[in-house]
Amino acid sequence: MAAVVEMSNVTKTYGEGSSIVKALDGVDIRIKKGEFVAIVGASGSGKSTMMNLIGCLDRPTTGVVKVAGEDLSELNDKKLTSLRNYAIGFVFQSFFLLPKTDALDNVATPLFYRGVPAKEARFRAMEMLTKLGMEDRYSHQSTELSGGQQQRVAIARALVTEPSLILADEPTGALDSKTGKQVMDLFADLNDEGKTIVLITHDLDVAKRATRRITLKDGKVINDERDKK
Amino acid sequence: MNILIAARLAFARILATKTRSGLTMLGIIIGVMALIALVSVAQGATSGIQDQFKGLGARNLTITGTTNQSITVDDVIEIAREPGVDIVSETVSGRATISSNQASTRAQVIGVDSDYKTVVDPDIFVGSFLPNVENTKDARLIVLSSSLASDLELDAYSINSTIAVGSTEFTVVGILDDADGFGSRGSAYIPLDTAFKYVAVPPYLSSITVQTINEEIVPEVTANLTSLLKARHNISGEREADFVIVDASQLLDAIGTVQQFLSLLLGGIASISLVVGGIGIMNIMLVSVRERTREIGIRRAIGAQQSQILTQFLIEAIVLSLVGGIIGVIIGEIVAYFLAQLGEWNFALSPTMILASLGFSMFIGVVFGVWPARTASKLKPVEALRFE
Repeated sequence: MAAVVEMSNVTKTYGEGSSIVKALDGVDIRIKKGEFVAIVGASGSGKSTMMNLIGCLDRPTTGVVKVAGEDLSELNDKKLTSLRNYAIGFVFQSFFLLPKTDALDNVATPLFYRGVPAKEARFRAMEMLTKLGMEDRYSHQSTELSGGQQQRVAIARALVTEPSLILADEPTGALDSKTGKQVMDLFADLNDEGKTIVLITHDLDVAKRATRRITLKDGKVINDERDKK
Repeated sequence: MNILIAARLAFARILATKTRSGLTMLGIIIGVMALIALVSVAQGATSGIQDQFKGLGARNLTITGTTNQSITVDDVIEIAREPGVDIVSETVSGRATISSNQASTRAQVIGVDSDYKTVVDPDIFVGSFLPNVENTKDARLIVLSSSLASDLELDAYSINSTIAVGSTEFTVVGILDDADGFGSRGSAYIPLDTAFKYVAVPPYLSSITVQTINEEIVPEVTANLTSLLKARHNISGEREADFVIVDASQLLDAIGTVQQFLSLLLGGIASISLVVGGIGIMNIMLVSVRERTREIGIRRAIGAQQSQILTQFLIEAIVLSLVGGIIGVIIGEIVAYFLAQLGEWNFALSPTMILASLGFSMFIGVVFGVWPARTASKLKPVEALRFE
């Protein structure tokens, strides 16, 4: 099956000269369509850098990162932005809903940026909110929603573009354990539907819900294990 | 991104940050208000004068001698024979000391013929203008401008009283309403023949006012009279004429120029405050971009192109300046209305002025919104997302 994410011998360094920091050091991984992967590691292990690269927010210093078949190093800002819009559905730790914007338009915004007419974008956003049980909250702004509800809206926003992969950065980090479990159940259901999911987390209990765990330490992959089918 | 969505978002932000947006818009509001009010003052004040001149007769043209001995009563006879000329009225003038029982002052004494009343149609405050005295050789009747009357400490009850011009006694028959008579301040009017006797030397005149049979013919008559008088005064080739012919349209043009100049001057001053208002917008937009770095990061992450971020912030700046402009127009017109009441000129809404003001405030929004918007669009998604 085609790889959604392909990293070959990837390094990423920050800074210059003596203050140079190697965030990733020779990473090789392939994530295939339909996988549910957790990228695990302590803080400073290179998790965030992995997230930025997989999320097409940044380019590697050396090596090749391909997302949905596109080599990030060969794309200009415009094409990279476009790739993010089409290939990645972001779910952030602190939800990152847009301020002064209701739930419906929050979900519809990635479609607006893609040029989908407002009416159609809102229709599809409403469908997605309905799927996640948030249809009666469509006119609420983020300040009027609980954490769990905000994360559902954020997941709806990630799903509405039908991306190649859902990239979730500590999605339960700001939620209580009960709501966190509900969100993880939702990810598991989505994976059962065939969605590719990449979780970035330091929480091993959360990581256990994934079917594959890639462990990072000091910018290197030190463990890559799959659940047995 | 759809411009409507960006505009709606911009309005939502303005409503959410009312105090800040209000203060930001204040610069534009004051600028546009000043622009509308000052330009309306310039136009209102001068259009009053223009209206007076229109009333004064667009059919009239005035010939004035450039020296004391340029035009004569014989010229008048020839001018009256020209085609297109309806009425000819001549005046002479001199300065004399005028004394009432209470006071005394130097003033211009103008001798006018019996047609002057028809041609110039002066407004009477009290009494009447000079009666027809063509058959009387020494009619010592006088009409005073109201400012001269007040200089002489005369009032409405002074009609038929006696005042002295030099050492000769005259009877006051009327006092004019100066407010309407342009250039007649501090003047006294006496019959032409009497004037030749006491304040002027015949046959020389100071001015001739010609009323033509209609407005359209004025330029043609002006040309004919110019060549007639040049021939009579033996002026040929490059030599400068010893008279000037002015018609109402020239005066109107001159006033129009003054009006334009005043409008530009006052409008220019007001525009400076608009530009200052624009700087206020730029300042607050830069703050806003910084505060919303995270939001920009989120938008970039979920697929906003740089151009779409730029558009969003530019539209916010334009909405701010345009809303400020609209409020400024409304307040400005109200101020202009009250100024018009105060200055007693006509108040008129000028659609051109309103559109120009709104256009200008929009332009200010674009000019001063570009930099903050560019700053926003150039933020790196990774760093913007991390921003606390």
